[in-house]
Amino acid sequence: MNKFAPLDAYQAGRGAAYQLLPLQFIDLDAERIVLTNLAGEFYVMPREAGRNFLEHRLDQDSRDYDELKARHFLTDGDSSVALDLLALKVRTKFDRLANFTGLHLFVVTLRCEHSCPYCQVSRQNDDKREFDMTVETANRAIDLVFRSPSPHIKIEFQGGEPLLNFDLIRHIVLRAEDRNLTEKRNLDFVIATNLAVVTDEILAFCREYKIHISTSLDGPEDLHNRNRPRPGGNSHQKAVEGIDRVRAALGRDEVSAVMTTTRASLSRARNIVDEYIARDFHGIFLRPLSPYGFAVKTKWFAAYDVDAWLDFYFEGLDYIIELNRHGLNFMEFYASMILTKMLTPFQPGYVDLMSPAGIGIGALLYNYDGSVFASDESRMLAEMGDQTFKLGHVGDSYEALIGADALLDPLEVSFAASAPQCASCAFESYCGAEPVYHHATQGDAVGHKAFSGFCRRNMAIFRGLISRMEADPEIRRIFLRWANR
Amino acid sequence: METGSPANSLTVSLAKDLYELEAVKLAAYRFANEAAATLEPSGDRLVCTFTPLSANGDMASLEGRFRNEVIDQDLRRRIARETESTRNLILAMAFSKTGLSG
Repeated sequence: MNKFAPLDAYQAGRGAAYQLLPLQFIDLDAERIVLTNLAGEFYVMPREAGRNFLEHRLDQDSRDYDELKARHFLTDGDSSVALDLLALKVRTKFDRLANFTGLHLFVVTLRCEHSCPYCQVSRQNDDKREFDMTVETANRAIDLVFRSPSPHIKIEFQGGEPLLNFDLIRHIVLRAEDRNLTEKRNLDFVIATNLAVVTDEILAFCREYKIHISTSLDGPEDLHNRNRPRPGGNSHQKAVEGIDRVRAALGRDEVSAVMTTTRASLSRARNIVDEYIARDFHGIFLRPLSPYGFAVKTKWFAAYDVDAWLDFYFEGLDYIIELNRHGLNFMEFYASMILTKMLTPFQPGYVDLMSPAGIGIGALLYNYDGSVFASDESRMLAEMGDQTFKLGHVGDSYEALIGADALLDPLEVSFAASAPQCASCAFESYCGAEPVYHHATQGDAVGHKAFSGFCRRNMAIFRGLISRMEADPEIRRIFLRWANR
Repeated sequence: METGSPANSLTVSLAKDLYELEAVKLAAYRFANEAAATLEPSGDRLVCTFTPLSANGDMASLEGRFRNEVIDQDLRRRIARETESTRNLILAMAFSKTGLSG
């Protein structure tokens, strides 16, 4: 008996008309379009060939046909498992939603000894103790944290400068660890600190409880100190000394850093990347300023536009790609999160790039005064007098907080798959809803995307990443590594 | 398509039976940061008038971009209809095996 069926059996489906699977398309440039499917896989075609495919005129013996079939853009009589595979990828993509909120932010104080003009959280002076969270507030917030069904709980301490209220951080960590003896979640802690007031005692505690440190590093010394003034004018020195101390105490990878782009940064993309390499980081997150807090009041947010930031971003990105070509393993983290969406079925849990929006689902924030907010940006907006995204108070029930209209209404209206322009955008599965940004800039959680700086910035990055991959197989290999980090 | 351009504005006339009204609306929406749009039926035509938001608005280039966008939006809507049952099937399969569906 022959182990294989006759050749005809395998060719039975060929020749039959193909059906399109759900897809979107958009211009990549004047000559090409990008097709994307439900799982976020993409395929680039010349505009004319793409039109032929969409009009059911694609030659079934062409390479495009095989590629489109393999990537779930079409199905024919020969692809019986296509729908199951696609459904599996879609399920994986939305898997994070089932676990609900895993990230819980505690603003243990709004005090800070820095006086950054771009501060987006509207910090208070060092001596104002009324801006510290109390033990009672913290205890109620911890109860709420463990109401989340997520098996992974990350508690992140924010400020101000959270180390100015380290006694409360210690209390929260010990109480959460004690609670977790019965809860048995995967419990992680992060302190977001400028490291200026870190001590050996603090580092010893961090080592004992495996607390990760996230700090700010805006670039070379002159730029960093200009962006981040403090008494003594030594913010950069404090930051780099702190990074070294954290690594010595906790381990090399237990400290990460983020930068913020100011107008003074725009001409310094390579210098900033070089600073991160010199400090032995694996990558950099090139971040624009957000429209909140002092950044708006001091007009630092308005000091450059989206296009100027994009020039800065792509100069930095291309420099990093060149360094990778020469053997350096270093990545741009924003690109890597988007590439994960483009090149794998997985979704990074980055609040800005989630739809349904990351508010509430991606993070909950407990403010120093007991207010509960849907995200870090929501409390930044509240310090400017806009309480739109305040869900309630730590004294409220968990059900009341996550069922609050202030959460559910913006989640519903901003859902990108049903938002005007986003619903028919081929990049929707890579993007986010960002209701807080659009509320802050347009007074509307959905926002008109033709006027949206968020939309303009991300569309350019999506096209920029795909164009670079299409132009050079080596860049695609580099990006695959970043996507699977 | 027929076009005309009264002072400082752009008029594009479309055959009603060639394009869905919704596709034309979506195309006009996309360029709202460049020009205010008015859509008026006129017999078997749909007349789209664009008034630039700023004095130096690029009306000449807007015409071509709007025409292409109308065609693309029309095609997107046709594909969405053509693949609707498959999309619903895939989403049902995807979510039926999670705790999300209750």
